[in-house]
Amino acid sequence: MKNIKRMLRIHRIFMAQEFKRMMEYKGDFIVGIIGFFLVQLSNLMFLWIIFGQIPDLAGWSVNEVVFIYGMSLIPKGIDHFFFDNLWSVGYFIVRKGDFDKYLTRPVNTYFHVLVEKIQIDALGELIMGIALVCVSAPGIRADWDAFRVLAFIAVIPFVTLIFTGVKTITASVAFWAKRSGNVIYMFYMFSDFAKYPTTVYNRLVQNVITYIIPFALTSYFPALFILKGENPLFNLGMPVLASAVLMGAGIMVWHKGIRAYESAGS
Amino acid sequence: MITVDKLRKEFKKTVKEPGLKGSVKSLFKPKSEKVVAVRDISFSVEEGEILGFIGPNGAGKSTVIKMLTGILTPTAGSCTINGKNPTQNRQSYVKEIGVVFGQRTQLWWDLPLRETYGVLKEIYEVPEDSYNRRMAFLNEVLELEEFIASPVRTLSLGQRMRADIAASLLHSPKVLFLDEPTIGLDVVVKDNIRKAIEYINRHEKTTVILTTHDLADIEQLSKRIVMIDKGTKVFDGSIAGLKTQYGQIRELTFETGVANAAAVLEYAKHFSLGEEDVSVETEGNVVKVRFNSAAVPVSDILSYTLNKVSVSDISVKDADIEEIIRRLYGQGAV
Repeated sequence: MKNIKRMLRIHRIFMAQEFKRMMEYKGDFIVGIIGFFLVQLSNLMFLWIIFGQIPDLAGWSVNEVVFIYGMSLIPKGIDHFFFDNLWSVGYFIVRKGDFDKYLTRPVNTYFHVLVEKIQIDALGELIMGIALVCVSAPGIRADWDAFRVLAFIAVIPFVTLIFTGVKTITASVAFWAKRSGNVIYMFYMFSDFAKYPTTVYNRLVQNVITYIIPFALTSYFPALFILKGENPLFNLGMPVLASAVLMGAGIMVWHKGIRAYESAGS
Repeated sequence: MITVDKLRKEFKKTVKEPGLKGSVKSLFKPKSEKVVAVRDISFSVEEGEILGFIGPNGAGKSTVIKMLTGILTPTAGSCTINGKNPTQNRQSYVKEIGVVFGQRTQLWWDLPLRETYGVLKEIYEVPEDSYNRRMAFLNEVLELEEFIASPVRTLSLGQRMRADIAASLLHSPKVLFLDEPTIGLDVVVKDNIRKAIEYINRHEKTTVILTTHDLADIEQLSKRIVMIDKGTKVFDGSIAGLKTQYGQIRELTFETGVANAAAVLEYAKHFSLGEEDVSVETEGNVVKVRFNSAAVPVSDILSYTLNKVSVSDISVKDADIEEIIRRLYGQGAV
């Protein structure tokens, strides 16, 4: 309990540092915000055009497709916002020997790396995701009882950890390979499949994104229950199970990786 | 305080042929070889001691320091610091040590220096009142006041190094590891940093392990040195010990009117000495002869020289520590 309190405290302090850091360069910060809104606007127009062309898809109405699309962006955005630093592990922290710093501090290295940086850009995905869900939900004829709304909210943290888990495992490859940015990228890109109903893909892709790199569990399967009331045990249980397995494996690989870490000459 | 027992670190190194072709080949058919960076090193350090850890570039100094600080996991052997194993109880262990790598910084680059100390206070769980006392102390010793409000990126190297040393001392560690703390600094700053290290060592009985290429650091700070080369310990003892063990080198300097004095004298031939025992340098009228006084007595070389050529202004002096170390490094393992 004391441990968790301490972690939360450190998390809060690192977040504050990040905001201070962003504010340190005011010009860049302001331009960043303007750019951010421009990008979001163009994304919105792009989606509006795409969904304008789709009447329905594999038995899903356009509103349902938008809901799945939006729902896939929410966990992706949360992971991207809080845990973006894993990319740096894959691209340069290990390769340049900067990981030394984490090992000389009395904080769990994985936790330290995770909470050290935040990525403001991710708010784009998050806001867009929430907007798409809110816009599409009223047009879907589903039984919106309290349990389904609750299930939707409760499943989000778990499916977020599916993203984090996949990134953790692939980032840890850097401890052996020195650089694994492209490995993270390759696996992370599978999350694009999560944006559309899984049944539109062929069998092989379906199996891969359900059982191996399970991004279908981040949006499509929970939506099967939330929108259609199908099989809550599988459709909600699998995402929770997958997130636990991936995070568990990720943390294990990470700590094995630390033993193989070779630093860099200095 | 610190016991290092047969510590060993091996790295796997991929061997590539040169050029793009070699890189492509290695992608499909990787070849690797084992490199032993640290070869079964043992030594121990007492509480409150300042140990100078020296050796040429690539000798394995940093690798040893990184194993002692818990960054690298040893391939074999063990190290125990204050009863703890760095890789097994890393989190509780690192609370008791401070680490500075002169080539890196742990400060928050974009923010005013003060912010770094604020975060480190939380990370190391330093209580408010001891934090304030500590900051006042570090301020006094390292003179941080003038730049504590400036962003780290604007600090000069000397300021940054002082700031980094202060950061490593914030939690009052029992052991301080300094990997080249004076690298790239001017004489005045070097001197200030040495004084600060000495002050802290004296006042808090902090054990210090220091690697450096500047032997003045060692001469001013540490009574004892451990020298390693190619991953093996080649010397462990006091500086005085190093001088008696390897310091039989003397330097004979004289001025002469004879044009080709070196050729006339032919020390090596006359005393039948090897290349490692004698070397001659001529600079205008001045001739410098470095020789091993164990191989040929000073009196012999003096009288021989005086008999052979006419000489004005002659002197013989002890080699300094740099000379000894230059010799040791040059020869590789001793």
